[in-house]
Amino acid sequence: MSDPTLLVLASLAEGDKHGYAMMEDIARFAGVRLGPGTLYGAITRLEQRGWIRPTKSGEDRRQPYALTADGRRRLEAQLSDLNQIVKTGLKRLKYA
Amino acid sequence: MKRLARWFTRLYPRWWRARYGQEFNALLEDAPVTLPHVFGVVLSALELRMKPSIEPRIVDLASRDIPHGHELETAVEYPRADGSRTLVRNFSREIDLGDSYVTLNHWSRGAEPAQTVLVFGRKGEVDGDFRTDETEMLVLRADGTVQRTEQTVKTWMKYDAIRDGLRERYRSGMAAGLSPDEIFQQIRASHPESA
Repeated sequence: MSDPTLLVLASLAEGDKHGYAMMEDIARFAGVRLGPGTLYGAITRLEQRGWIRPTKSGEDRRQPYALTADGRRRLEAQLSDLNQIVKTGLKRLKYA
Repeated sequence: MKRLARWFTRLYPRWWRARYGQEFNALLEDAPVTLPHVFGVVLSALELRMKPSIEPRIVDLASRDIPHGHELETAVEYPRADGSRTLVRNFSREIDLGDSYVTLNHWSRGAEPAQTVLVFGRKGEVDGDFRTDETEMLVLRADGTVQRTEQTVKTWMKYDAIRDGLRERYRSGMAAGLSPDEIFQQIRASHPESA
């Protein structure tokens, strides 16, 4: 699972985060350290799709983002598909 | 390495720098930046330049069955190269009266005046997948003028089956609680050549 957009959605499912917090969180739960360019490429696409939105950042230049309702549904659908693939793969390998 | 990465941010399109530049620079200050990350910045910037727009996004969609036909309302956002978006709204009604049909299309694009097109068609001979129809098309312009065109057109019969299939996908998607855009993404994923 290394699709940057999916990793960003999964990170924001826990709560609002700015870019650096997302990078750290993704490194912790997925073992993948996204670079700044890759991360903001994903953020740009996700915001254009309406799956994440910027939240109030006050005076700080660090801009937090939040999942939208569409983004949450999209994440649920993608994780459900992945779950099915994992189950099928494990079953075929006879590990389940 | 951070300075190098910051220097390469000038490769991003102007609209992107205006929207994300400040927060991206804040991230470059916070995060450790390696040489592969610098390459990542360059690649990301070039990708945005070469593929400035993503796919259209459906922001609203409604389909209704009516006597002898159906109605469809859509609102679709089309991204532009400068990062802005154009909203296209469309209303269509198709009525099938057996040996003839009437279609109404009404749409607007951004701030441009809306246009309306009415088509009256008489179904003709069927030849394989095609039918030859006699049609009269009325273009109702925003200034009150009407452009009338009569012509013989070949109608692709399989279109009806494809349209009905898409409508069924829409109904089942809405019943499953998906948004119009998610339904569109599903259709794209299963038939990438048709979307």
